[in-house]
Amino acid sequence: MDSPTHDMMDVLVQALLDGDRSLSVSEIKRLLAAGVAIRQILSEGVEVAMAQLDAKCTIEQFNLLEIMLCGRAVMGIMKELYPPDMPVPHTKATVVVATLEGDVHDLGKNILKMVLTASSYRVIDCGKDCPVERLVDTAEREVPLVVGISGLLTTVMPQVRRVRQQLAERGLGHIKVVAGGAALKQATAENLHVDYIAQNAFDALHYLDDIMGGGQ
Amino acid sequence: MNSLERVAATLSFRTPDRVPVMAQVFGHAATLAEVKLGDYVRDGALLARCQIHALEYYGYDAVFALMDVGVETEALGSTLTYRDNQYPFVQSYVLAGGVNLDDLDVPDPRRAGRMPEILKAASILRQEVGQDVPVVGCVMGPMTLATQMLGIERALYLAIDQPERFAHLLDFAAEVAIRFGLAQLEAGAHLPIVFDPSSSPDVIPPAFYREFALPRLTRVFAAFKQAGSMVNWIHTAGMAAPILPFYPQAGVELANIDFSVDPQQAMQTLPHTCLDGNIKTLAFVEATPAEIAAESSRLLKIFASRGGFILSSGCEIPPESKPDNIAAMVLATRQPG
Repeated sequence: MDSPTHDMMDVLVQALLDGDRSLSVSEIKRLLAAGVAIRQILSEGVEVAMAQLDAKCTIEQFNLLEIMLCGRAVMGIMKELYPPDMPVPHTKATVVVATLEGDVHDLGKNILKMVLTASSYRVIDCGKDCPVERLVDTAEREVPLVVGISGLLTTVMPQVRRVRQQLAERGLGHIKVVAGGAALKQATAENLHVDYIAQNAFDALHYLDDIMGGGQ
Repeated sequence: MNSLERVAATLSFRTPDRVPVMAQVFGHAATLAEVKLGDYVRDGALLARCQIHALEYYGYDAVFALMDVGVETEALGSTLTYRDNQYPFVQSYVLAGGVNLDDLDVPDPRRAGRMPEILKAASILRQEVGQDVPVVGCVMGPMTLATQMLGIERALYLAIDQPERFAHLLDFAAEVAIRFGLAQLEAGAHLPIVFDPSSSPDVIPPAFYREFALPRLTRVFAAFKQAGSMVNWIHTAGMAAPILPFYPQAGVELANIDFSVDPQQAMQTLPHTCLDGNIKTLAFVEATPAEIAAESSRLLKIFASRGGFILSSGCEIPPESKPDNIAAMVLATRQPG
């Protein structure tokens, strides 16, 4: 990468970290006009910004606002790079996410969706207040690497415990189940009958990356 | 000492006859009385009856005139969905559907939505317990109400994109909290607790809290104190340690700490502020009475020399909690050591 392009990429990374959507989009346009490939923008711009944000967000210091703003900027440039008639390519794997029936607090799920999308996963969102059956139907259709469940309320725990069993009954026992969110992260994976409890969205991302690398 | 005297002594760092226990039993009171949660949150008289039943059953030190976090936003025009055995949730946010903030009035608690039912509950509870047990009302903190009027994602984006408009929204939300809280005091509550989960550092950075939330909370608590509120009590969920230093400035006198806050650290940060907490809420559903007793005992020992401590959960005790677990927490305060 030549120096002017390198400088523009640095500006893009900082704009994403600052959550500055309009500057991020204008930098994308400059990079494209300079002949930089989309793949390079993603790997040297978006993924670098996400890695830096990841490093900042420890379990002790994690706030949604900063991630939301970065995520919004990422989504803004994704729209610029891939207009509605062009599917967003994914280089890693598919993940199905949901907030289960009885819980409508879906901010955590939306954050996870943004972090995974910006990290080159294809995310299928089953929405909030989602019955287990619909989640499992979607998993059967999409055959994801992981099903991710976010929950703020303890009352959804009995439903969370049903997910892996229902996947297994349809021959989908190989799909990993990850849970997170204020209520669910108080529990253990064993207690919830899931494969992993993510402490935050980046923790979930690390788990997925480990699976991709054959680490789990 | 009766419960009110016990809590008052603790708040002023005097030695009570035993450590008070203020179990955050809200919807669980309906479960205990075999009443549908959907009915409990719409009927102030029923709520009061269930709270008194739970007080008599457990023998703890406070009752709550508190329905759910949607009371204020519903009174302002948001639409809620009710279900039999869940808390209601917002179906459509009042400010997300084209309504302008300038078109809204601060709701009259005697008429708007379920606010009159809360006032009825506070009044009945006060008649029942008099000056024996604290009657605790509840208002949403300005930050939390703002997120309940607009949806949390929209509200946070507004804060960044149009901070002046967001500040205006927070000022309005503070007025709602003040008017509703004062009405609760007038109806008989000894205090309104301020619920402010959206101000948690899990959601917003401490600098954002200092700039946006703190000035409005300060105003709300000053108004409550001036009106004779027994104590300024705040609940902020999650890892609140980074914002604890702001509490004295806000006028907080009693701080509920969640399980993810280290009690020792909280004591160091707030040496002159009474603390309550911080048993993990899920433990009341999943753990055993012996585990709850052990955790209670651990907390009582941590605070034994300092005082200024009320045993409680770190957040709401879930409706589906096991009664034996709540009873174990209460019993722990009667069996010191």
